[in-house]
Amino acid sequence: MKPRLASLLDYYYESMSPTLQALEEKRLAILSSLKKAALMLACLGTVLFFVLSRTNVFTPLHAFLLSAMSGFLIFMFIYRHERAGYDSLFKDLVIEKMIHFLDPSLIYAKMDSIDAHEYERSELFNEAYDRFSGKDLVRGEIEGVKVRFCDLHVEKKVRTKNGKEEWSDIFSGLFFVADFNKTFHAKVVVLPDVAERSLGILGTWLQGVNPSRGELIKLDHVAFEKLFVVYGDDQIESRYILSHALMERIVAFHQKIDKPLYLSFVDSKLFLALHYTKPLFEPILTRSLLEFKSIKDYFELLMMITNIVTEFKLNEKLWSKR
Amino acid sequence: METFLVVAGLIFLLVVFMYNTLISKKNQVDTIYAGLDAVLKKRHDLLPNLVASVQEYMVHESITLEKITELRTKAMTHSLDSRETIALEKQLSSMLGNLMVAVENYPTLKANENFLHLQATLSEVEEQISAARRAYNQSVNDYNNAIEMFPTNFMAGFMHLERKEVFSIPERERSSVDVKNLFQK
Repeated sequence: MKPRLASLLDYYYESMSPTLQALEEKRLAILSSLKKAALMLACLGTVLFFVLSRTNVFTPLHAFLLSAMSGFLIFMFIYRHERAGYDSLFKDLVIEKMIHFLDPSLIYAKMDSIDAHEYERSELFNEAYDRFSGKDLVRGEIEGVKVRFCDLHVEKKVRTKNGKEEWSDIFSGLFFVADFNKTFHAKVVVLPDVAERSLGILGTWLQGVNPSRGELIKLDHVAFEKLFVVYGDDQIESRYILSHALMERIVAFHQKIDKPLYLSFVDSKLFLALHYTKPLFEPILTRSLLEFKSIKDYFELLMMITNIVTEFKLNEKLWSKR
Repeated sequence: METFLVVAGLIFLLVVFMYNTLISKKNQVDTIYAGLDAVLKKRHDLLPNLVASVQEYMVHESITLEKITELRTKAMTHSLDSRETIALEKQLSSMLGNLMVAVENYPTLKANENFLHLQATLSEVEEQISAARRAYNQSVNDYNNAIEMFPTNFMAGFMHLERKEVFSIPERERSSVDVKNLFQK
């Protein structure tokens, strides 16, 4: 039986709480050093501002900007240095323990991620990327289904109007891969239906002439069609994969999660990407670890991810997959 | 003169576009029908084994079994058009549904390994048929819309294109042939 929130509460107070005391002390120490650093840098910045503004080289505005920027950069350097060790320890003492509590067979690697080849194989995001990074890889079997998931961040370089280069997100969030319960050869990609929602019939027409994605698959499920646009390379097999029951489950999952959801079915595998604007398993420095509430959010997120297998009934295999 | 040429050119392009759209939709129906036919054949291939494995147990269901064999033979040997195939497959689905309901009365048959294997395979084929039927119906719907909607209806009239029938199965029969659910009871 899967662990529930109530049993996590027991586990938290019995097994996690004693070790979290030390981590909490470290968190408070970091906060205290950051406060001190901020105070010192503010003083140094003020001194620097007065020194620079008295010279003939800088105007008061330039002197202010230069001292503020220098202070900020030094603070960011200290902040990163201070929290690096804390993040790592937090993942060992909180995230890894929680994953093992959920399912002892799952393996957690905080520095690893799904590789770029697998990301490309999913065909979820066709844009060329310049930076690919990920962390918090979890792999193993849930209810007999092989799964892998991680926190993924894929970016590209863009040039702004001013000619400056900036990093723009292609995808940021949860990337999940699992064995699908049917054998198939076609490729099916399910994307959020932005065009139809914003442009109506014109949007549908534009989706139909998207040569990079393959054939548009119009499905006979009203709620699903409203939320998603589907591309595939085989009209029949796409519907074999996306049965009415599965579409129903995807709609229910989307309504529950309420985040942009991308799905693809390639080589008898399910790829799922859920867009998050913040990192999934990073600690929040300002939240006390001695409060169960701050741990509960991570647990609920992990429960949601591991439940994908049962929510989509990936464990109910057809004859050919037994 | 120039205006006339431009208008004539636009009309010509519109006619070409409408003609190509109708032909592509008609071909789409034919292609998907071929796919549907392939999965229906899979079911036909399974039926002799299914009938052979159940007939020694199901002494009171000989009429159903004979009817299934007859329908299968008809589907395999006669060259039927899409309308006739759809009607015949509806009957076959209905008969299979009846057979699977009747299985409930034969506990020894339900425990037979060969039968269980056939039942599970049939369940998967039914899933594939359902997918093919949905794809076929969607393509027929697109085609029927194109030949009935303005302005392609005029072009469809010139091309003598006719409405096609969707492959529907009555709700009662659809549920009775849901072998997977029955199997899980």
